[in-house]
Amino acid sequence: MLLPQLIVNGIIAGAIYALVAASFSLIFNILKFMDLSPGALFVIGAFATYAFNILFGMNFFISLLLGLIVVAICGVLINLIVYTPLRKRKADNFSLLLASFGVFLFLTGMILLIFGAEVKSFGFPIEKGYEILGIVITKLQIILIIVSLILFVALQLFMTKTKIGKALRAISDNPRIASTLGINTEKFTNITFIISSLLAGIAGILISLEQNLDHAMGFSVILKGITASVVGGIGSVPAALIGGFLIGIVENIGIWFLPSGFKDAIAFVILIIFLLIRPKGLFGVKTREEVSG
Amino acid sequence: MALEAYLIHILILVGIYIILALALQLAMGFTGLLNIGHVAFYGIGAYTSALLALNLGVPFWFGLIIGGLVASIFGILLAIPTTKLKGDYLAIGTLGFAIIIFSILQNWISLTNGPLGLPGIPKPILFGFKFTGFSYLILVYVFVLITYWIVKKIVKSPFGRVLKAVKDDELAASSLGKNPIKYKIIAFAVSAFLAGIAGSLYAHYISFIDPSSFTILESILIISMVIIGGLGSIGGAIFGAAFLILIQEPIRFLPLPSSVLGALRQMIYSGLLIILLIFKPKGLWGGKNASRN
Repeated sequence: MLLPQLIVNGIIAGAIYALVAASFSLIFNILKFMDLSPGALFVIGAFATYAFNILFGMNFFISLLLGLIVVAICGVLINLIVYTPLRKRKADNFSLLLASFGVFLFLTGMILLIFGAEVKSFGFPIEKGYEILGIVITKLQIILIIVSLILFVALQLFMTKTKIGKALRAISDNPRIASTLGINTEKFTNITFIISSLLAGIAGILISLEQNLDHAMGFSVILKGITASVVGGIGSVPAALIGGFLIGIVENIGIWFLPSGFKDAIAFVILIIFLLIRPKGLFGVKTREEVSG
Repeated sequence: MALEAYLIHILILVGIYIILALALQLAMGFTGLLNIGHVAFYGIGAYTSALLALNLGVPFWFGLIIGGLVASIFGILLAIPTTKLKGDYLAIGTLGFAIIIFSILQNWISLTNGPLGLPGIPKPILFGFKFTGFSYLILVYVFVLITYWIVKKIVKSPFGRVLKAVKDDELAASSLGKNPIKYKIIAFAVSAFLAGIAGSLYAHYISFIDPSSFTILESILIISMVIIGGLGSIGGAIFGAAFLILIQEPIRFLPLPSSVLGALRQMIYSGLLIILLIFKPKGLWGGKNASRN
């Protein structure tokens, strides 16, 4: 029963990748650049919640709420301090991508400086998993998958049914027309960053409940998130979800054949294959011209 | 004596990074190839030459050249498919490549010895003379001069002017009968060759290499050198390399644990990168060709 277990492990990892993919994809759709900062916000979410809960001894749910507020504030500050001035001087996408790398390194360096390198945990008692048809899964892992799915449904409803969501999609389709129609793009940029940071932050909190907290976990996660959104098709919320699960499952089945250290490499081989053969992804709407020159 | 040895050490590192930065400048600054995977070529050069010396007793001088050639073969293999991609997709593709190479260095234990690394890499010997300390410094700067000469020659040649045309306006260049892809691939191959040489110089200097010297952070450090010096400026790349190595040194003497020092260094160069991208996108050296936007 090894294969079903690997698939379930893949779904658990995929639920996290999918959230980060959605976080990444949202910014890419509205602002058209690749932003790595969700990787840092992922880590900040986990560590902020940890600080409130364990270091300050606050109630877990209050800590969670405060942690998410910290993440959202960080997201907006990153936009205001770094990306807005860059966009004002019409910096190219690569400068923005590099700046986001800078933001990522700066913030994760800061987390390391504040919290130190030793491994931390929320210290939840280790529970014995349920065993269904030989597959072992813990309660926390089930919660993780369910929360991720609920967030995706909520995000999809938000983007299609609410006024803000519709405005965001209008900006994504054509920012110039959207601003002539009276949509204040700057304001919506901040809203985008709040939603995107919350998605990354929640993903970080979820994974740190399940595993330990590690300041270095953000990098691999954002790369998987990017891979998931490219594979799914950059620019659509459901595609990010499917891309996330796909990457999670493929890399977990992959370690059946290869040493587990190759996990990251597997995801990137898939990424490069997709960039070359199907850059618009499985469900993408982008034309080839937008991707290759 | 200790001070002298320390100064020689720093200057050797500066020299190696100047070669890396000049190599990247050729691909990124002059040809517009947004390569985040530069470190992979550095690592390939280092490992090729170290393994040849350790397993087959190949002398440094041949190992160096073969290291460069193997790196450039990988450069061509990466360039053929990815140079078709647009800016930030190319960046993500090269990033993926660097992570795949890192995974191989880390996990192909029988070849690379994995995380334990390769100790005892011999120093170069020429007619019975062994290069160490000051003589190694001279050796490194001979290669710095050669690199400088190669890059300068290429940039000033008709070939270099085509590269610039390809960077500025690919369509115009191809309508004049120049095949942009071919030129990009050659630029990539030369850049990878020089980075491979730098890797070999590093391996035989430090005499022990492990995968941790070739992470994506190194790539970002080298990119930061190029940006801080100014894209498209040879002097800028040299200045940027010296500046970023030297500015990190004083931190080493702070009485802090090494994990904290690492975090501080990371914050300093990523912070500098962000500040420069926002306020001085043409770099501190301010090359006249440095326009990107």
